[in-house]
Amino acid sequence: MQQILKPVKRFFRKYGVAYAFIAVPVISMLLFIFIPMAISFYWSLCDFSGIQAPRFIGLDNYIKLFTVDKIFIQALKNTLLFVVLSMFIGPTLGLLTALMLNQKVRFQGLFRTAYFLPVMTSMVVVSTIWKMLYNQNGIFNTVLTNIGLSPVNWLSDPDMALISVVIASVWQGFGFETVIFLAALQSIPKELYEAADIDGANGINKFFSVTLPSLRSVITFVYIYGLIGSFQTFDQMYVMTKGGPVYRTTTIVLYLFDKFQDLRLGYASAIAYVLFFILVILSFIQWRLPGSKSTEA
Amino acid sequence: MTKKLAPIVALLLIVAMLAGCSGSAQPAATEAATTAAAGTEAAATTASGTTDTEPVTITIWDYYGEATPVKPLIEGFEAENPGIKVDLQSLDWNTTLEKLNVVLAGGDAPDLVTIDMTWLPRFAALGAFTDLSTYANGELNGVPLSEAYSEGAMKAMTYGNTLPTIMCDFDTYALYYRADLLEAKGLTVPTIWDELEATLSKLVEGDQYRYQFLADTFHGAQFIYQNGGSLLNDDNTKAVYNSPEAVAAIQFEKDLLDKGLAINWTADQGERIQGVKDGRIAMFSDGPYYMGIMKSSAPEMSGEWRVAIHPYQTEAGSYLGGTGLSIPVNAQHKDAAWKFIEYMMRTENQIELYKTAGAAPALTAALNSDEVNVEDPYFGNEKVFSVFLESMKTARPFPYVRSWSDIDASFVTALQNISLDQMSVKDALDASAAEADSFLSQQ
Repeated sequence: MQQILKPVKRFFRKYGVAYAFIAVPVISMLLFIFIPMAISFYWSLCDFSGIQAPRFIGLDNYIKLFTVDKIFIQALKNTLLFVVLSMFIGPTLGLLTALMLNQKVRFQGLFRTAYFLPVMTSMVVVSTIWKMLYNQNGIFNTVLTNIGLSPVNWLSDPDMALISVVIASVWQGFGFETVIFLAALQSIPKELYEAADIDGANGINKFFSVTLPSLRSVITFVYIYGLIGSFQTFDQMYVMTKGGPVYRTTTIVLYLFDKFQDLRLGYASAIAYVLFFILVILSFIQWRLPGSKSTEA
Repeated sequence: MTKKLAPIVALLLIVAMLAGCSGSAQPAATEAATTAAAGTEAAATTASGTTDTEPVTITIWDYYGEATPVKPLIEGFEAENPGIKVDLQSLDWNTTLEKLNVVLAGGDAPDLVTIDMTWLPRFAALGAFTDLSTYANGELNGVPLSEAYSEGAMKAMTYGNTLPTIMCDFDTYALYYRADLLEAKGLTVPTIWDELEATLSKLVEGDQYRYQFLADTFHGAQFIYQNGGSLLNDDNTKAVYNSPEAVAAIQFEKDLLDKGLAINWTADQGERIQGVKDGRIAMFSDGPYYMGIMKSSAPEMSGEWRVAIHPYQTEAGSYLGGTGLSIPVNAQHKDAAWKFIEYMMRTENQIELYKTAGAAPALTAALNSDEVNVEDPYFGNEKVFSVFLESMKTARPFPYVRSWSDIDASFVTALQNISLDQMSVKDALDASAAEADSFLSQQ
């Protein structure tokens, strides 16, 4: 007995305090993340209102989501379209502004701050302001009519609403990408450009052969971070359109929220898990992608 | 020293964290910073305190916000019931709904909560509220319920054979119109649809002075009722809002839009009050609560507006809603909460509700009282509540079915499709009604 206890005692004397400290985040993760996740997964297999006891129904919720529920399919489409549009425009705009700011312009700090300010502003505030700008009698339409164009139904035209929301979201978010790209650009060794000059490369050559490859890991970071964020988008739609018109701006998370409000917790959990699986698959792909941080390390 | 301290610090962190998780937000317990054991003890005593001997504290959630009609009543209630203390929590409409969803799913439910009657389908179907008929025994403060309330109000408060709520203010729609404009053009108030269209065609000037069209169930249902239609059939098993009467009703609205007599008030039009002030809207349909908004947001328009029964085709019709007082099924002090309901529903306190919150009292006696049904100078000395009381007589609540919010959303989508020229009236309503039928069969 003593024989066994001795190494255990020694272990605790040596590492006990360390493990006690580790226990704090581990237990809190268990309590606040992993256990709720497990419960939520169980609920996703149940018909559960929160008031009455959960009733196990197997995969019915998931089957219903993908076969019967047209709104969910629409929400999935909207979310994908939102992700594609905002992930195409946002980082491109961010890279372009970063390249411009990197040209040793005057007041670089001022511009950097200006571009970053919207990022620090709450999305709800930004959305409220943009909702006013998009108003049928708002600034945009006033300008349009004054220069002789017809006004646009920014948020009530089913084909326009999502694009309007994307514009507002990109405006709010691309400063983040600008700052990240700018930092990365400034850390590219000058020697590389000098070597390229000696090899007789022009500006375009330098961009594609030096700048872009050096930014590879940063680009991957920006995309993964942005993808996860835009898949979870909610605030803009909640404030500006409430998912309308005719569900054309309903996103996965907004739909989940609606179902939660309607006390369909099982169904809402199933939606949450569909989103979770999408994000897991995406993260897995990026993890295996060449050039990502994890494979380089 | 530091070495000895480290494990203690680590242990304290864990304990603090676990204590944080124990949840039940007993403010007294946290304030005293006592141990977890003391906290549960305190909870136990309040739980057993339902007997008359020990004082109980009832928690009330009130969504009226600043204009709370509940707060002024507390002092008098506590004086009359020495054993009961009131803990009033002022929330807004949204927060109340969100918190209610959470606590009904297993938390510290309040003893009494103000609810929007449109929440009732979901909560009543799930059995979230105590059946108050066992407390009321058909009476409220000694007056039979059927006498205290109008027929429509009784219908709105009843779910199956149960009474999940007691209505304290009501909401029903009437026509708000610019009397000054009508007078200037020598027009009279329209009472039927044809007159509405004729009046509008003389009233509207370009994009000014139009009727406000809203693609929502409140207004869509109103037109359907006014043409003798309904949303669901009598036993709530099938959607009938694609019946010929209903299609004709929505078509009438659509025609007003197409002829430029109505303005499609979409999300990007801003708040209605802007349209009221800048003249884009000269007529709209809404409940009594909007009178307060007009008085506070457009005081300069005093005297220009009046209220009338909304024009109809075959019969007057409106949705019927309002605020109800409900006791969650997992509340701890139901007897005390019922006492508060009765106190709040006394006629004199119902009159106070009008004075403090500007809401329309649901009790017929209070509504007809001289204090409430006064001549309103803002509306040209019209007795406005008579109009809403008249409107309540034919108003009806939305159907109480579990899948109501799905049906509601589907109907709104159909109205949006129609008003945005995406689908024809018949096609959109047919498609939505089929969808509603599948929701009804699944519930």
